[in-house]
Amino acid sequence: MSGITDIIVLIKQVPDTTSKAGLNPDGTIDRARAKRMLNPFDRYALQAALHVKKTYGGKVTALSMGPPPAVEILLEAIEHGADQGYLLSDRRLAASDTLATAYALHKCILYLGKFDLLFTGLQTTDGDTAQVGPQIAERLDLSQVTYCEGFSIQNGKLHARRIIEGGHQDVITELPALVTVANAYHTLEYKTIRGARLAQELLRDEALKNQYIHTITLDDVNADPELCGLKGSPTIVAHTDKVGQIGGQCTMHQGKSADILIKEIMDCTNIKEFAKQ
Amino acid sequence: MTEESPNQAIPINASQPIGEVLVYIEQCLGELQPVGLELLGAGRQLADKLERPLSAIVLGYNLGDIPKTIIAQGADKVYVADHPDLEQYRTLPYRRVICNWLEQMEVEPHTMLLGSTTTGRDLAPRIAAHFTTGLTADTTELDIGPYEHKGGSDPSKIGLYANCLYAIRPSFGESLKARILGPWKNPQMATTRPGVMIPLKLDWERHGEIIPIPVNLLQEDYRLVVEETFREVNKGVNLTQADVIVSGGYGLGGPDGFELLNQLAACFDNAAVGASRKVVDCGWVPYVHQVGQTGKTVRPKVYIACGISGAIQHRVGMQNSDLIIAINKDPDAPIFKFAHHGIVGDLYQVIPEMIRQLKKNSNTSSTKEVSSIV
Repeated sequence: MSGITDIIVLIKQVPDTTSKAGLNPDGTIDRARAKRMLNPFDRYALQAALHVKKTYGGKVTALSMGPPPAVEILLEAIEHGADQGYLLSDRRLAASDTLATAYALHKCILYLGKFDLLFTGLQTTDGDTAQVGPQIAERLDLSQVTYCEGFSIQNGKLHARRIIEGGHQDVITELPALVTVANAYHTLEYKTIRGARLAQELLRDEALKNQYIHTITLDDVNADPELCGLKGSPTIVAHTDKVGQIGGQCTMHQGKSADILIKEIMDCTNIKEFAKQ
Repeated sequence: MTEESPNQAIPINASQPIGEVLVYIEQCLGELQPVGLELLGAGRQLADKLERPLSAIVLGYNLGDIPKTIIAQGADKVYVADHPDLEQYRTLPYRRVICNWLEQMEVEPHTMLLGSTTTGRDLAPRIAAHFTTGLTADTTELDIGPYEHKGGSDPSKIGLYANCLYAIRPSFGESLKARILGPWKNPQMATTRPGVMIPLKLDWERHGEIIPIPVNLLQEDYRLVVEETFREVNKGVNLTQADVIVSGGYGLGGPDGFELLNQLAACFDNAAVGASRKVVDCGWVPYVHQVGQTGKTVRPKVYIACGISGAIQHRVGMQNSDLIIAINKDPDAPIFKFAHHGIVGDLYQVIPEMIRQLKKNSNTSSTKEVSSIV
C-alpha cells in the first residue's frame, strides 16, 4: 500500500500566447482580448498528479486562483481525470505578487485539509517566476523537490529525480511534500472518457457542477485580506519600458551553392573566432 | 505632496540603517558556479552605491580555498558554513542555516542576490517567504535609486524612498522590461539570470574577512536525502555557459539530424547543442537541450538555428544572442525576421559545408573523435 490518499495540483489560467488574438504588435498581451489557456507548465503537474492517482491511488484536487473564467481549467482538469476543483476567486486578490499569492493559496491548502503530495508546474508563462510553489512550501513547512522530471513512491516516500545545472540529482523525501514538475516529465495527453462525459454534464447542470467545482473566497479559507492583493505584496512594478523590436535587418544568403553561402557567412561574421584552433 | 520636488523631500527610510549587500555563492561538489561570481560583480556596484560592504554567503563541506577565492572575486566579507551535512545542496538545511544567520545579524542585509539557477530558484523563494520580503525572479539588470510611491490601494506605503533596489527583468515574452521594487522590507531580494552580469577580475591582493557561521540543524531539516548527483558538464548541455549554441528544430526531419549538429558543435571550443520544444516533445533529444519559453533562456555569442521556424516561444529564449545565424529552407520562416544572418537552403548541404570550412580554418590537422553530445 502506498498510503497516498490526497493529491493537490495547483494550476493557473494564463493568456494564450500561441494565438495571435490579444497579442499586440509589440508582443505585449491585451488580457481582455487574449484567449485563455491552462498554463502549459501545469500540464506536466496535472499529468504527474493523475499518474499518482492511477498508480498509487488517492484523490486529485485541482486548485486554482483567478477570476471566474478560470473555472474552465478546472473543468479541463476534470476531463483528464481530476476528482474535483477549487477556485479561489476574490477581488481583494487583484495585483497579488508571488508572496501574496502564496499566502492566499497556502490558506486554501490548509482549508482543504490533509494531503500527501502537492504538485505545481515549474512556473507560469505569464509570470515566469517559479516562486509560488516554494513560497507555499515555506508557509506550510514542507519538504520540496523542484525541477522534478520523474518519480516513484516507495514505502510512503517519494523517490524523485530532479534537474540541476548540467546534470541530475536523485533524492528521497518524506511526505507530504511539494513537487514542482519539470517539463521533462510527461505532458498531459488523454482525456478520460468518464472525465470528458462528466465535464459535459457539469456544463449542462449548474447544481451538479457546484458539487465538483467549488468557488471559494478569502473569507471561506480564513485568509487575512491585508496579506493579499496589492496590500499584501512586498513588491510592485514601478516602471515598464518597451524593449525595441529585435532583429529586423536579417542579411539573407540564398540562391547560391552551399560552399559560397557558407563562405559569405564566414566572411561577414565572427564565428571563426570560436572554432577550435 | 504632489507639488513637492523629490529632491527636497526627506525619504521615509532616511533614518534607517542601511544593511550590506549579500550574495549567495553557489558551489556544487566543491566547484564554484560561475553565476555566484557574476553576482559578486553586480553586487559590488550596488554595495559601492550604497557605501556598504559586499558580503557573500557560501555553504558546503571541505570548502578549502573557496572563501578566499570569493574575496579575490570582490567580496568584503564571506560568511562560511562548512559542515558535513551541507556537502550537497538541500533546500531545508540550507534554508535553515541562511535564515538563522540573517536573523542573528544586527542589521539585516539591504539586498540579497541569488542566481536564477535550479538551486537559486529553489532556495530564494523559501528565504523570501520566511522573511515575508519581496523577491524578483530572473533579473537581467540591477541598480540602486530613489522611488516615490504615489498611491495605490495602500496609503501607508505612500512617500519617497531612498536607496531602493531596482530589480529589472524582462516580462511578457521579453518585449517589456519591468522595474520591480520593494523598499518596504529588507532584504530586498532578487534572483539573476546566469550569464548576464560581469564578474570582476580575480585579484588575490583584495582583502576581506572570512567569518564562520553556526550550523544548527533540526531533525525536520533531514526530511530529504540526496542519493546521487550526476553531473554531465562535458556533455555539451550547459546551454547557459556555452559561447556557441547549435540548435535544432523539426526541420531536421528526425532525431538522426542531431548527429550532424553534434559534429558542428564539436568544431567549436565551447559549444552546446540546443533544441526547439517541438523536437523535445517528439523525444528526439532530452529536455535539458530545450531553448525557449518553457526551456532555457540563453544568450551565447553565436546561436545557429537549424531547421527552427522561430515561433515566439523559441524566440524569447534566444533573441538576445549576440549573433543569430538561421538555416532554413523556407525563406518565409519567422526566424528570418530576427536572425542577423539567414541562409536559405537544405540543412544537409549547408551544415556539412559549414563543418568543412570551420575545420579548414583550424590550424591543426588533428581530428579527435568527439563522443556523442546528445
